[in-house]
Amino acid sequence: MIEWTARARRPLLRQPVTALALAWLVLLVLETLVLPPLLPTDPRFADPAQVLLPPAAGHVLGTDALGRDVLSRLVWGGRWTLGMAMAALVVTFVLGLPVGLAAGSLGGRVDALTMRVVDALLAFPALLLAMVVVAILGTGLLPVAVAVGITAAPAHARMVRSVALEIRSRPYIDAARSVGCPPLRIALRHILPNAAPVLIAFATTQLGWILINGAALNFLGLGAPLGTPEWGAMLAEGRGYLRDGPWISVFPGLALTLTVLAAHLVGNGIEEALKRD
Amino acid sequence: MMAKYIGRRLLQSLFVLWLVATLAFGALQLTPGDPAQALLAASGATSEEIARQRAELGLDDPLLRQYARFLGELVQGDLGRSWLHGRPVSRMIAEQLAPTAELAGVATAVGIAVGIGLGVLAAIRRRTWVDAAATAVAVVGISVPTYWSGLLAILVFALHLRWFPATGSGSLRHLVLPALVLGFALSGSIARIVRTRSVEVLDAQFILAARARGLPAHRVLFVHVLRAALGPAITVSALQLGFLLGGAVITESVFARSGLGQLAVEAILWQDVPVVRGVVLFSAVAFMLVNLLADLLQAWVDPRIREAL
Amino acid sequence: MRYILLVLVLLTFLLTSCAPQTHQPLVYGLTLAPSGIDPHVNASSELGIPLSSVYDTLVYQDPATGEFVPGLAQRWDVSEDGLVYTFYLRDDVTFHDDTPFDAEAVRFNLERITDPALASQKAAFMLGPYARTEVVGEYEVQIHLSEPFAPLLDALSQVYLGMASPTAVEEWGDEYQLHQVGSGPFVFAEYVPGDYLLLRRNPDYAWGPSIYQHDTAQVEEIRFEFFTDPATRSPALETGEAHIMGEIPPQDAVRLTEDEGFYVEAAAIPGVSLMMFMNTTRAPLDDPLVRQALLYGTNRAAIVSTAFRGTSPVAYGPLAAVTRGYDPAVEAYYPYDATTAAALLEQAGWVDADNDGVRERDGEPLTLEMYLMGWGYMPEVGQLLASQWAEIGIAVQSEVVSYPEALEIGAEGRHHLIPFNLSGSDPDILRKFFHSQASFNWAHIDDAEMDGWLEEAARTSDETRRDALYRQVQLRVMDQALVLPIRDYVNLNGVSGSVSDLRFDAQGWFPILIDVTLEE
Repeated sequence: MIEWTARARRPLLRQPVTALALAWLVLLVLETLVLPPLLPTDPRFADPAQVLLPPAAGHVLGTDALGRDVLSRLVWGGRWTLGMAMAALVVTFVLGLPVGLAAGSLGGRVDALTMRVVDALLAFPALLLAMVVVAILGTGLLPVAVAVGITAAPAHARMVRSVALEIRSRPYIDAARSVGCPPLRIALRHILPNAAPVLIAFATTQLGWILINGAALNFLGLGAPLGTPEWGAMLAEGRGYLRDGPWISVFPGLALTLTVLAAHLVGNGIEEALKRD
Repeated sequence: MMAKYIGRRLLQSLFVLWLVATLAFGALQLTPGDPAQALLAASGATSEEIARQRAELGLDDPLLRQYARFLGELVQGDLGRSWLHGRPVSRMIAEQLAPTAELAGVATAVGIAVGIGLGVLAAIRRRTWVDAAATAVAVVGISVPTYWSGLLAILVFALHLRWFPATGSGSLRHLVLPALVLGFALSGSIARIVRTRSVEVLDAQFILAARARGLPAHRVLFVHVLRAALGPAITVSALQLGFLLGGAVITESVFARSGLGQLAVEAILWQDVPVVRGVVLFSAVAFMLVNLLADLLQAWVDPRIREAL
Repeated sequence: MRYILLVLVLLTFLLTSCAPQTHQPLVYGLTLAPSGIDPHVNASSELGIPLSSVYDTLVYQDPATGEFVPGLAQRWDVSEDGLVYTFYLRDDVTFHDDTPFDAEAVRFNLERITDPALASQKAAFMLGPYARTEVVGEYEVQIHLSEPFAPLLDALSQVYLGMASPTAVEEWGDEYQLHQVGSGPFVFAEYVPGDYLLLRRNPDYAWGPSIYQHDTAQVEEIRFEFFTDPATRSPALETGEAHIMGEIPPQDAVRLTEDEGFYVEAAAIPGVSLMMFMNTTRAPLDDPLVRQALLYGTNRAAIVSTAFRGTSPVAYGPLAAVTRGYDPAVEAYYPYDATTAAALLEQAGWVDADNDGVRERDGEPLTLEMYLMGWGYMPEVGQLLASQWAEIGIAVQSEVVSYPEALEIGAEGRHHLIPFNLSGSDPDILRKFFHSQASFNWAHIDDAEMDGWLEEAARTSDETRRDALYRQVQLRVMDQALVLPIRDYVNLNGVSGSVSDLRFDAQGWFPILIDVTLEE
């Protein structure tokens, strides 16, 4: 693994930055589950009399160009943005894990062939590929999740493969193979559990990438259904009002950046903690 | 050895290219909407006239024949004609390549410069606040979506300070903000690998020996550390070419620059399949070529790899 | 070390390759970067902004009176049966490449446009039932039609049917659009697709129509640049990168009008207003009561003041108020009245029995599917409509789709509501929307009587008769509540204070560039 942070090798929660990042993510998940229904203002309610109000007492983060409350859109937006990212991560795992595991555990022709397919997918510019997928599937939570998941899957498969290859070369796997253990059993019982921690670290880092790309699709207008409070879509809505309402785009951008940052830091923290072994 | 290695890599690349082409062809068959209708509806064309246009574009042919024609043309370097504009796709790509290459080139240069700077700085001041700060800047670089940092850059440097034009392309001043935004996003991953490699080098015996011989510290740094760091930096930036092209879509959109990204976005929105396919294929080929070159370059820079071949 | 040097050299090369400009042309910001700009082939309105000053047309339409005035044709007459138009041409016109203009050139151009091999996307269709062109004398030419077609002069007054130099068309072939040659007040000097288009003053121009105030252009060069992203237009104007900028977002336009250094030239565009088509074949909109309820339940003034910052007029009927044949009687229809809307819905059997805020009938909630395209503030309008209708118990599910997909949805009738607008100065444009065979028949109306009116109006050259027919169409459309009009299209042009005399032609889109002046 790549050494990354300056800190000494320490368990996860003893690294202050990682702990902070983890706390942010946990809080955010809780917030998106609990908070939205409790808000007093409807994130979709457009009030023509309250257009482009700067942050003040009534609207803590101001209102947007259609007169909607930015704070309630931001809070609801977390639900959509995070939900999309989690769904995309599941898609990534479902597609990438079996392929990578098969390539890494079986080797030989399977490996060569699947890795060429992975190469082909990696050669596509990810965002363009995702845009094409959304153009085919239509907009909505699931299509965006699938689009971003598909584009993240090749890197995932490649990572799984390299970890599996490394584990496969360990003596105890050789031993298992020599006593006639079938390849599928080796892959599932021996390689996968050993690879799990590294994969979790990688997945957390990929979550950041997924968040950026999912919100990018929304930014380009290819994501959530119209009017959905979503951070990328909010950024797009706000960009026409940079001068008259910078708060519309500054806050969702900040929330997104902090979340991606937290995902990266937690991923690095897990890697760091793993190095103890 | 080298020739054999290059040969094998080229052969693999050809196979991957075929896969890419087939995937691109297949996927774009599935997009909804009728391009013939999109072209003519607003003119009040009748359904027969639209049907004639469909036939003209070859959309009524069986799928296999369309595929065979597409591959046949591709082999001759012909990417077909835009349905929307009726012009050769290869020429349209050629026209839009320069601004994108300019942006990607300068952004990569910025990314490598900042990335190496941060990485080496972090490595030589390991475990001090300098390291922590440089690392933090790098993580932020990876984490900030360019469509947000781009907006912030416009807000601060163009709208308020008026140092640079907000948008557009053409001159050096137009290039500054987008190149910095994209370059900064790129620098994070470069800084990361450079720091790792520099730490290895600094810990290596020959550096310790060089220092012991009394070579000045900055010379050690330049000759050995930079040399060691540059190889991985090249590889990472080559691998990030896909990111750069995707980033170009976003950056060109935010800064209203012309280029391949805008061409692709317009084509996707209008379902101008030959153009989408052309841009995707072109990007894939560029990606593979650049990575091939980067691998060879690294093999040339790093004697260990050269010998391993 | 050498790599760093390499990078530096590369960098220097890239930076020096874009040296600054020395002269100061008028910079005109366009909103699309169309790669196809041959007016005979391509269809965008954007291409006409520069090219209507490169090409001359046979006739012109006076934007003040709506009358057709001589252009390349000094006069013309129409046969009794309306099938033959004879044009008597000027004999003093030369194209920019010194090719003389004559009857043969007219024939060449019209044959080119109607040649199926050219695959014209607009021009060929504008000629309607065109049959052939006959050269009668060196400067006399006849256009023959297979049936009468009233909008012909309107079509011939537009740049899409502008006259190109036959020599240049033959010389450049496929690449003609990069080397266009006309006979207008400006010469097509240089075009780099996606980057800029440069026009240079034609000093020999002496055959302009009466709607031009000057004999030759008042500025030496006009450089057109492309600003596809609406958010970037006003900043470019304010930082001095452009002198004129089309389609400024309403919010920015409001700010510019308050700024001393700039003004906003709002050009009203004739044609079909921005409106929601209501699918009359899909329940619950097959019920006229529900459609009328939507009209009564919509506060159009609030939409115009929010999404358009009050910069566009509210639309009342299918035609924009500045269109020829517009009938002001539509303005009496469906004033905003939520109470009437609610009453109509109840009358139609839609009641909110379970008090969840959405009305039901037979257990079915009143939910409408709306498809929107991403441009022209359609998403904003859709969201405001949804917000307003929520108050009268109607739920809306909206989705933004690409133009090709919208066409497919509209044609198949998968929508409840779908918006569109289209520009054009002749009311025949209604035929594209309300004829049962029309490609934009998104209301899915099949009204034999209205088909008859539209067909007759396209054939009749009697203006009074035409107006009467179009009046009937407009009232029928509103009586039947086929559409929900939102706003008349207005092109908000941001203009630097250093520019004066910017006027637009009868289409509203195309500036009369010959008269524009720029203070240094």
